[in-house]
Amino acid sequence: MKDRIALLGQPNSGKSTVYNALTGSRQHVGNWPGKTVEKNDGFYTYKDSRYTVTDLPGSYGLSGNSDEEIITVDFIRSGQADLVCILVDASQLERSMYMVAEFAALDKPAILLLNMMDVARSQKKEIDHKLLEQRLGIPVLPFTAAESKGYDELKALLAAELEHPHKLASVPALPEKRGASADTTQAESEAKYDWIRNMLEGVTHAESGHFTLSKRDQRLLSPVLGKFLCFGTVLVGFLVAMLICMPLMGAGSMIPQLLNKPIADLLNGWNVHPWLVSIFSIILPNTVYFCIAMAGFVFGVNLVFGYLEEIGFLARAAYQFDSLLSGLGLQGKAICPILMGFGCTIGGSCGTRVMDNWGQRMLTMAVVWAVPCASIWTIIPVISSMFFTPLQTMLVVLGILLYVVVLMTVVSKVFGRSLISQNARSGMIMELPPYHKPHWKHILKEAFLKAWDIFVRALRTVTLISLLFWAFSYSSTGNVADSLLYKVGTAIEPFTRIFGLGWRTFMGFVSSAFAKEAVLGVLNVAFVGEGTVLDATFRSVFNVATDNAVLGQAMTEIISKAEALAFMCACTFNIPCVMALSTTYRESHSLKWTARIAAFYVCGALLLSCVVYHIAALFM
Amino acid sequence: MKLTETKPDQTGVVRKIGGDAHFMSRITAIGVTEGTDFQTVRNDRKMPVLIYLRESLIAVNRADAERIEVETR
Repeated sequence: MKDRIALLGQPNSGKSTVYNALTGSRQHVGNWPGKTVEKNDGFYTYKDSRYTVTDLPGSYGLSGNSDEEIITVDFIRSGQADLVCILVDASQLERSMYMVAEFAALDKPAILLLNMMDVARSQKKEIDHKLLEQRLGIPVLPFTAAESKGYDELKALLAAELEHPHKLASVPALPEKRGASADTTQAESEAKYDWIRNMLEGVTHAESGHFTLSKRDQRLLSPVLGKFLCFGTVLVGFLVAMLICMPLMGAGSMIPQLLNKPIADLLNGWNVHPWLVSIFSIILPNTVYFCIAMAGFVFGVNLVFGYLEEIGFLARAAYQFDSLLSGLGLQGKAICPILMGFGCTIGGSCGTRVMDNWGQRMLTMAVVWAVPCASIWTIIPVISSMFFTPLQTMLVVLGILLYVVVLMTVVSKVFGRSLISQNARSGMIMELPPYHKPHWKHILKEAFLKAWDIFVRALRTVTLISLLFWAFSYSSTGNVADSLLYKVGTAIEPFTRIFGLGWRTFMGFVSSAFAKEAVLGVLNVAFVGEGTVLDATFRSVFNVATDNAVLGQAMTEIISKAEALAFMCACTFNIPCVMALSTTYRESHSLKWTARIAAFYVCGALLLSCVVYHIAALFM
Repeated sequence: MKLTETKPDQTGVVRKIGGDAHFMSRITAIGVTEGTDFQTVRNDRKMPVLIYLRESLIAVNRADAERIEVETR
């Protein structure tokens, strides 16, 4: 039976909306063999039959030579799809029909979805789809992807066409090919637009009136005001995302609080080995809590970004910040996840969903890691003020911010080359879609699916890393000196000294890769000797009070100012946290790249700490 | 004149596009071909040029916009 459908369309054609609505959570994400392009497969059942859907990478045409276009053409040509569903934007029919003209050369069965009919109607554009259907020889379905009511009709049409497929009856008459020169390309494109004009003759009429920007666009697209508005919008977006995930995180944090004691008591009552008691009473409930917190963030951020993308804001942000970010090899859109990173790296990492392709997304995630999240600002001023005057503390903060810019540049240089091919580095040529009304039901559903997905998938990664950390920090007596972390830390102290870290600060450094919130607690254990590393790390989230004055006194007695400065640098630019690591892995579905970037940050942080320590030691 | 030299609200026709085949396929795929009517919407320093063409608002980065010759009305 024929059951393989491929979705083809330009950016902003609503392709992924249709894909998500058809397949729901029955999706598989991977990479196209040997390429840094994401492959999305999913399936759905209709009338007891199962259909697979492949969401082909979005591009404006098919005759360019980007990875996306080559993959798409090869996929369709090889017959891996029984039916190609082409999406066009009904509100900009002439331009978006170019994809159909490009597809014509492939000579495969297809149907045409006139998407965004709601927008076309609101612009009073009438389309005689029956006439278009007659001319093209393939079924033409007027559609609004973000509304759920049309999908039954679509599924019925897809099923019928898989049985009795149609191919395009008319194709563009292309001029004789004379190599792949620019002139040939140009002549072919013109022939394709001529064909489109013929197809659309009498089907619809293009408005030729004068175009004026809406009031909103006049502000949002102006060079200075627009940038401020973008910053403001992302800031508000972050706050809204926080507000949305707060209740979920609050509820999640109850899990370890409520379960820790009962589980410990129960297991102790059964005389279970204390190892297992600490795993079941501390590690597992906390892992669940971490994953709930992650899912909450992913939900909030997806909701906000889904909204911003659908109304067309992200395209405007891309326009505003293109010149600034193209220097880093990034698209202008990357500004949104990067700004989000100042709030939370998890939010920033999952915000990279808005990027157009996998390479861009991976690189943006790597850059987002360089951005110090809000938690860092709760520990750096505290530690700094133990050693330095308020003015000096301000300088420390300023220095960190300056280094962020340096690090972002270095990261994009180091990873950009292999993540983004030279071809894809060409400057921005993009369409700014008209403002759309958001379809909340659709945005909510999608955000929920993504959040659930990350929750389920992250459980394993977070559990694994938590267990690893547990193994290092577990101490049978409750004394730090009996933990593996202490033994390893003191054993390699001569080595970590090079970086300006003693075993105590090294312990803090290790915990900063786990969770920034844990750093003060772990320092307290290491310097003051109260409590255990395990409790400090996993309970940090419920604010076990650390007496900063006592900690400060202990720290200043043991380490020098130069060491403190080095430690702050090492902490800030270490791996953000286990949840950010896990989100990056889940979003990029590439263990290799996540590991590479994590290794880069650990080494980079140590190197920075080394340089800072030795220079600072000369002056302090 | 070049597209980068046009002023907001000026209308005109695309006359000549220069560049290699890769650029040509990118710029024509989005709708900019020789003979197409267009209207400049915004043209700010150091920002991509915004044009309205084939019922769409299109942003073209400055380096590429330099390669597009237009005739204004």
